[in-house]
Parts: sequence; C-alpha cells; structure tokens
Amino acid sequence: MKPTRSDRSALAAFMAPALIIMLVFFVIPVIYVVVVSVLKWNGISTATFTDIQNFAKLFKDKAFVRSVTNNVIWALVAGFIQVPLAMVMAIILSRKPAGWKFFRTVYFFPQVISGIALATLWRAIYNADTGLLNGLLRSIGLGDLARDWLGTVDTAFPAVLIYWVFYVGYYMVIMMADITTIDSSYYEAATIDGASDFQQAIYITIPLIKRTSLLTCVTLASVLGLRQFEQVYMLTNGGPANRTSTMVLYMYKKLQDTNYGMASASAVILIIVGVIFIVCIRALFNIGNDEVRAQKKMRRAVK
Amino acid sequence: MKKLIALLLAMVMVFALAACGQQTAPAGEQPAAEQPAAEQPAGEIVINFPSIWVGTDSKAEYMGKLIEAFNEENAGAIKVVVEEQTDYQAYRDKIRTTITTGSAPDICILDTTFDIKAYAESGKFMDLTPYLEAGWGDTFTDGAFDAWSVDGKVSILPFESAVFTPIYNTEILAAAGWDHFPATYDEFFQMAEDVKAAGYNVMGQMAGDNAWSSMLWYSLIVEAIGGKDVYANGLSDPAFVEAAKVLKEMYNYTFDGAVSATAGDVNGHFIARDTAIYLNGPWWIANFYKEDNAVDGKLLADVCEVAVNPGYGEGKGVGGLVTTVQGFLAAAKQDDPAKEAAVVKFLQYVTDPAHVSELALSSGAMFFVKYTPSPDTNVISQKVTEVANSAEFTILHVNGAFPTAFSTEFPAAVSALVLGEVDEQGFVDMLQTAIDNAA
Repeated sequence: MKPTRSDRSALAAFMAPALIIMLVFFVIPVIYVVVVSVLKWNGISTATFTDIQNFAKLFKDKAFVRSVTNNVIWALVAGFIQVPLAMVMAIILSRKPAGWKFFRTVYFFPQVISGIALATLWRAIYNADTGLLNGLLRSIGLGDLARDWLGTVDTAFPAVLIYWVFYVGYYMVIMMADITTIDSSYYEAATIDGASDFQQAIYITIPLIKRTSLLTCVTLASVLGLRQFEQVYMLTNGGPANRTSTMVLYMYKKLQDTNYGMASASAVILIIVGVIFIVCIRALFNIGNDEVRAQKKMRRAVK
Repeated sequence: MKKLIALLLAMVMVFALAACGQQTAPAGEQPAAEQPAAEQPAGEIVINFPSIWVGTDSKAEYMGKLIEAFNEENAGAIKVVVEEQTDYQAYRDKIRTTITTGSAPDICILDTTFDIKAYAESGKFMDLTPYLEAGWGDTFTDGAFDAWSVDGKVSILPFESAVFTPIYNTEILAAAGWDHFPATYDEFFQMAEDVKAAGYNVMGQMAGDNAWSSMLWYSLIVEAIGGKDVYANGLSDPAFVEAAKVLKEMYNYTFDGAVSATAGDVNGHFIARDTAIYLNGPWWIANFYKEDNAVDGKLLADVCEVAVNPGYGEGKGVGGLVTTVQGFLAAAKQDDPAKEAAVVKFLQYVTDPAHVSELALSSGAMFFVKYTPSPDTNVISQKVTEVANSAEFTILHVNGAFPTAFSTEFPAAVSALVLGEVDEQGFVDMLQTAIDNAA
C-alpha cells in the first residue's frame, strides 16, 4: 500500500527535528571541515586556497601515517578483541553463576569513571620510577623486565592500548541485555539434545545476538577506537617519537599550531577511515547482502 | 485524528528544540561576565577576564586581591569579572578558539605558544599605542615592546617576563666533591659524572607532556653555543645540531623514565632532593620557601644556589641569558569608547609599578614593568634578578623564538633523539618540518 499524501506529511513532520539537528550539527560542520581542508588558514589571517597541498603534507608526515596506523590497530583491537572478550563475559554472566551480579558491577565499574581519571591512574602504574608495575616486577624478582613502559618505543603503544582492552563492561552490559531476551526454550531444547554450555553459546547465543548487540558493539567499539584522544593525550601526548599518536591527537596538535587547514584535512581522512570501517563491518556481518536478499525474496513473493 | 495528534506532537518537538537555543543556561554555566547582569547597576561596564592566574598559580592570591580592590574603587562604574581556568592548556585552547571565532574576551593572557605577531597584525585587539605614548609606556622596561609591535603599534602588552638560569642543590654538589657550579659544559659533564657516582640525578629532563624542562635546557645550550644571534638564520645555524648532542648526553644523567616524564616528575625529584640541578622560570621560586618542601627543618632555599649558564668550548654565548615573555596582556578591540577606556584603566591598574612590586614579591615572578623590588624579596629571587641584570645579552627561549609548531613538535623530536630514532640532524629536521608544515 502506497503512503498517502497525509502519511507523507506526518512522516516529514516526524523526521524534520532529527533532520534539522543532523543538518546543523553534522552535515554543515562536515562540509565546513572539507572546505577548510583545502585552505591555508591560521584562524586569524585571510584563508588562501591550497588545492590538495594539505593532504599531500599529511601523507608525507610520518607522525600522521603513524597516527592512522595506530587508529586502525586500535579499532581492530576494539572490534575483534575487546568486544569478543565482552561477549564471553556476557555469555558467562548471563548464565547467572554464583556472584554474577557482583562481577557484572565490577566489570562495569570502570565505565562510570572518566577516561581522564583512568589514564591518570594508569600513568602512575606505568611510571618507570615509582610505578606499581615496575615495583611488582622487582618484588617478584623480575626487575630486569622493569622499564619506562610509556617512554620506550616498543612498549608505549601496547601499554596505552592493553589496559583499555580489558574495560569490557559497557559492551558486556549491552550484550547481556540482548542475551536475556533470547527465548529460554532454545536452551532447554539444546540441553535435552545434550548440547554443552559451550555448544549452546556457539550455536544459539552468538548467532542470535550477532545481528543485534554484537554488531552494535563491534561498530561502537571500532568507531570509539578511531576517535581515541583523551587516553593517549593524558598518558603519552602521542610520545615517544609519535609512537602512540592518534588521528584526533594529531588533529588537536595541528589546531594548537593554528594550522586549521591540515587539522581539517586530517579530520576528512578520519571521516573517510570511519566510513571504510563501517562499510567493512557491515560487509563482515553480511548486513547489506542479507537486506538485498530479503528484498529480492519479498519481490519474488509479491509477484 | 491520530495523524493530527502526530503532527501536533512533531510541531511541539520542533518548537521545544527551537526554544533550547534561547534557553537560559544554568547559573554555573553562564559566562562569568553575564552572571552579574541581573544585579548590574545601570551604566556599569563589565569587563570579562578569563584568567589563568587563579587557583594554585603563584600570582593567584595577589591578582585576586588586586581585582577585588579595582572593583571596589570603581564600584558601580566598572566591574572586572574573572573567569577562572586552572588548566594552562585548556586556557590556551579556549582563548585561541574565542579569538578565531571573533569573540575574543575583553582581556586575556597570552604566552609565546600563541603566534603573537599574527595576533597583533590581526586587528582583533585594541590598539594601545595612544595610551602608551601618553605616558603609560614609561612604566614598562626599555625595549619591552620592540619585538612585539607591528608597524609601530602595540596591541599586545608583554607583561610577565622570565629568565631561565640553573639553580642547584649545594648539598648534593658537595656530596659529589664540588663546591662550585661548573663554568663550562665540559666541566658540567665532569661534575655530572661525580654527582651520578655519588648516587644522585644531575638534572631533571622530560620528553613527556610538553617536554618543558628539556626545551629549557635546549635553549640554554643553544645560547651557550650560538650566542645572541643564534636565531638569525633559523634552525640552519649549526648550534642547533650541536646543542642536540649535548641535550642527548644530558639524558644519561637524569632520572629513570625521563622520556615519558612530565613537569611533575621533574619538580618532584628536585623537591625530594635526589636531583642536583633545577631549571625553570622564576614563578617557581615560591616553592623553594614552602614548608611542605622542607626536609629536617631546612627549606629547599636553604640548600640552593643560583648559577649561570655554563659556557661552551668555543661557543659565543658567554654572559648571555635565556629569557621569555611568560605572559602577555591583550584586550579585544572595543566598539564602545567607554568600555575601551575602562579596559585600559584596568590594564593600567594591573601594570602600576606599586602593584607589580607587590605581585613580584608574592609570586616570585618577574615583569616588564619598572618597579622597585620590595626589600622583603626572597634571596633566590634577588639572586636570579642579579643574574638577569648582569647578563651581557639575552636571547629568547626557543618556544618564543620559533612558531608554535616548534614547541608542539619538540616532545616528539626530543624523544626520537634520545631513543635513537633520529640523529641530531634528524632532530633538527623534525622541528624544521613541523615549522614548514605550519607555514
């Protein structure tokens, strides 16, 4: 049934607020960023058109290339290590073992602490001189392993990334909420058929949350991975030797230099990387193909 | 009917959203200048002053009193409203953004991380030249405006100055067998070996955060090698590569973890008295007299002496001093002549020599104002002033001598240098590339 004219008016009226907000707070700023990305502008003097020079400079800058690489690694780790970890925790806790409420709270707790506070805490832990980690290593006779975790080329980025990976509470809670909506009869039937807990998780839980909360969490985690800033800013400010720099931090530094052209160019690249990631995630989860298949199926059925 | 209700609901949402744009913000979130509007007497001029001289800043206490006194003296006519910002970087970001967006505050504090010349040329700030020429300019030190005026016009006032000279712990040097501070960098590294052998760190270095301490040491070494004209040819002067070698060597004599260290680590080590030499601006001097930093009843000041930058082999820098403008005062261009006069009145009040003398006494900071130092000025401040007065020439700290991109890139460059990712020339090249990219 085709929507009537009055249906269309109602739809338009409902969509208008969101569209206006989207236009004002997203579309226009993005267009503005794209325009500034081809300008040489220090925020005070008159801007001059520079063609694609800002982009050329970006890709010649090792710090920017390193930032993009770090962000891609971060997003991949977020999507394919952090979220699966969260999923495992969600599956385990949704079976409601003893103390599950306590553990759910414990795992979720870091989410209510600001990223800045956590970064400050971990900065103290990693401190080469007085840090807990080196102290622990020394106390158990592994003093040779003690080092300047945030000041060594090989360890700085893993050190920044690794603690954050274990903060799985946010995604865990989302997936737990989804798992609780799965009809218990599936599990009862599987139990009667002799399926183990592991098999139930693999063949019932994961397939049923794959298109919903799992996809949401992978998308969210990857996008947040691409947007990383405060953690790196607080822990290392991108150092040592730009080894831990990220795109947003790079952009921030260009803004500090009042180099608005290059800052905007790096923002454009960030948007493109983000779009590529989302397309890849959708492809991975077969979202587009399924929708196309479903539409074709529906058309055939109508005919 | 349902559609009509739906339509009405949608319209309500649109109007509600539109109303959000005009909704009054909660009191705590209002710009400070707007807060007193309700109680503002008719005709009172409100001056908005986002300030970093608040909280634990050494100038906070006296500046607070000064502003309070000004407001009392001008009650009903002028009111200075301070927007407190205690985070330096956040303050810079905010001011930079407000200026770029054309909403510069009535008065703000800038430092050399801003491109002062470009700001002065922008026409966004009040031209203070007529007021300075009318006599106010005589209160400032000779040549204070030379480097910052554009076409003979002054719109950004250099206010707080700083000199950078090493201060050392006499007890640590004595423990290492030294009764004097080295006069040359060759001697400096001999002393460094002895201090290290005695179980102490020689100096605090940091490549984390903004690499402030390392940047200061780099400035001193550059000055010692290159002399007063070292900036004439930009970074192409060989002194910059040579200075990088010395700076890298210094990292052998600092505490563990200096590559990721911040100013807190550097300060902490010196206060803990496990580090022999400290380098920072005069604003830090007040900490030498804090009871909190005393050990066995001895203040830090009791065991410290002020030194001069050592000379460097055949270097040209003997007798030189590294300085900077730590704080500029800038006022946004005003359309209202009455408000312009009020802003100038406040600036004149703050830069009044009597007030600056008190401010210097309470904070330990130095200023581009001709003032008579208080007889109560502490010994370390007096000695730093003596060093400053006896300098044959001065050069700017590197962060003031080069565009902001230099300072932004410095932490990455120095950590790359220390970790062997680049050699000395590569270090200078990193800094040059950053400057070129921003140009």
